[in-house]
Amino acid sequence: MPGLEVTQRQHDFPALLERLIPECVHIIAQYEQKRSALLPMMHLFQEHEGYVSADAMKAAAQMLDLTPAEVESTVSFYTLLYRRPVGRYMLQICRGLACSINGAEDIMAYLREKLGIGQLQTTDDGVFSYEEVECLAACDRASCMQVNLDFVYSLTPQMVDEMLAAMRSGAYSTPAMAQTEAPGRTWTISQESDISRGKKSPGAVGVPLPNNAGGVGDRSGIIMLDRIVNRDVAFFTQTSERAVVDARQVVEVREEEGSHAGH
Amino acid sequence: MPVTKVLTAGIGEVDLRGIDAYRQRGGYKQWERAVREMRPVDVLNLADKSGLRGRGGAGFPTGRKWSFLPKDKHLRYLVCNCDEAEPGTFKDHMLLEETPHQIIEGMLIGAYAIASHHAFMYIRGEFRRGYEIFCAALEEAKRAGYVGKNIFGSGFDLELTVHRGAGAYICGEETALLNSLEGKRGEPRLKPPFPAVEGLYGMPTVVNNVETLAYLVPILERGPEWFSAAGTERSKGYKIVSVSGHVRNPGNYEIALGTTIRELIEIAGGLRPGRTLMAVQPGGGSSACVFEEHLDWPYDYESLAKAGSMLGSGAMVVFDDTTDFVKAAYNLSRFFAHESCGQCTPCREGGTWMTRVLDRLVDHRGVAGDFEMLLRVSSGITGLNLCPLGDSIEPFLKSVMVRFPDQFKSRIVAPEAQPA
Repeated sequence: MPGLEVTQRQHDFPALLERLIPECVHIIAQYEQKRSALLPMMHLFQEHEGYVSADAMKAAAQMLDLTPAEVESTVSFYTLLYRRPVGRYMLQICRGLACSINGAEDIMAYLREKLGIGQLQTTDDGVFSYEEVECLAACDRASCMQVNLDFVYSLTPQMVDEMLAAMRSGAYSTPAMAQTEAPGRTWTISQESDISRGKKSPGAVGVPLPNNAGGVGDRSGIIMLDRIVNRDVAFFTQTSERAVVDARQVVEVREEEGSHAGH
Repeated sequence: MPVTKVLTAGIGEVDLRGIDAYRQRGGYKQWERAVREMRPVDVLNLADKSGLRGRGGAGFPTGRKWSFLPKDKHLRYLVCNCDEAEPGTFKDHMLLEETPHQIIEGMLIGAYAIASHHAFMYIRGEFRRGYEIFCAALEEAKRAGYVGKNIFGSGFDLELTVHRGAGAYICGEETALLNSLEGKRGEPRLKPPFPAVEGLYGMPTVVNNVETLAYLVPILERGPEWFSAAGTERSKGYKIVSVSGHVRNPGNYEIALGTTIRELIEIAGGLRPGRTLMAVQPGGGSSACVFEEHLDWPYDYESLAKAGSMLGSGAMVVFDDTTDFVKAAYNLSRFFAHESCGQCTPCREGGTWMTRVLDRLVDHRGVAGDFEMLLRVSSGITGLNLCPLGDSIEPFLKSVMVRFPDQFKSRIVAPEAQPA
């Protein structure tokens, strides 16, 4: 695809910042307290950079009189702010209950197979990112998904095929997101070190989902849970926050364990 | 009782997004009347008299909520909560995208009632399209002089700021929403102080749901008696119910409170042919299921509470006999575990543990004692958290475990795990 190949970060942040400063000033002026402008500003930078870069967070910290840590702590709370580059089409499919009982799982499996990636992953060509998200408030038109936050309702496998083809050829109705840096395998930071060590590839076939540690094939969480919940006496006589017989097992288990919630 | 279209009037028939279309149907007349002819306290009294209760989930009487604002502090805020994310709820999504001006007019009237000069609209981050529609509508309203300085020459000033969230269910909890609006992590605050005393920027604040504020427009237009004439003794007026799941015509249906659950299912087209009803979750992902024996109960705040559930945000999910309730319980438990903000240990850890156990049950790898453990852990989470998110894990799970124990127990295959 012409124009889609990005190999390294374009070092034009100062120029971008200069362009966006008037808009940032406008946003800040809407609030009685500066800090309120943080989320809108991060949305703005993400729109232009494709993700929230460290540069953007630093710039925001400076403009809002915050520390970079305060900014990152806030940004990391929200799932729609990506702290690492993502694909040009963010496919977010609803895994809520109403969609699930109406066939969403089949569509999700189909989509994963077509893309060749799992939960929270990006394709090697940097075009698609895939995420199963919580209820998108469109339960009357299940199964639903968002493509770069535009809704697509009542999904069928045929629609998925057509959409993916259109996105690949650049003819899809929703514009692609900006991409100023080639994305890695995932944009979540919590599991990144695990993944780079090849220990975990979340959501891939036969591998537990990151939000579901202790799921299929992962015994660590289950055993720990049994120990804590089923053995009240052991729990209350141990002073450690995790009640297990042998402390070394905590370390082992922790290493195996991914982040349990959010990213 | 049939569907009564009040807020939903015209939706799906005409495009109501433009200001002219809205004005043709009498739009902004009530706002003008309020500012020109009424005092703020008159508007507050009207809302109080109508019996309108919060449509976001808690069902607190709106007029009373407003009256909690301290009388001596004059800087105060109105925040409209459009962070709709309760599983099964999709009414605000529709109102936002279809009738943004109705929301704006409701917000203006609400802000006037509490004499606030700055109102905020907090829109869920995922509703980007709705955000754009709302912003365009707001621009029109500003140009028409409905928002801004010296509205209708009355000397009353009112600013309206639109704020987009960034993906967090918990921001629908009012104090988490305020933190998010302040540019912080969306973590709920310790209460008291309640937002009415110390809310946004430490100032008295009222947070109202989209639907609640929108109902102010017809209440002003037709009078509080019209509104309170509908509904039941303590659940007055109308409500948009989002019906989804195993019904033939899922969608938003506006009904008078007190319509029976059976009627609601029929309004939504009934079940698919040949299927039987197993359960109904009447008030969003946080509510317990009700069953066949409750079908003729009225759909209102009191009856659902009596049935051990709640009306919540008015999201009704219908389950027929194809439902795997273990999977459904796993789905909701995972949702709450994922959306826990992490401040309170019972919710953060408990939700995750239970999700793990449910996951292995889904997979037919249950371990002896799982059934009792789920009940014990879920009740151990309830009541120990800053906000209701953690407490929301138990109702659905417990209701289906008690009703369909075999679905859970039949998946327990392994003896109790032994420590290594």
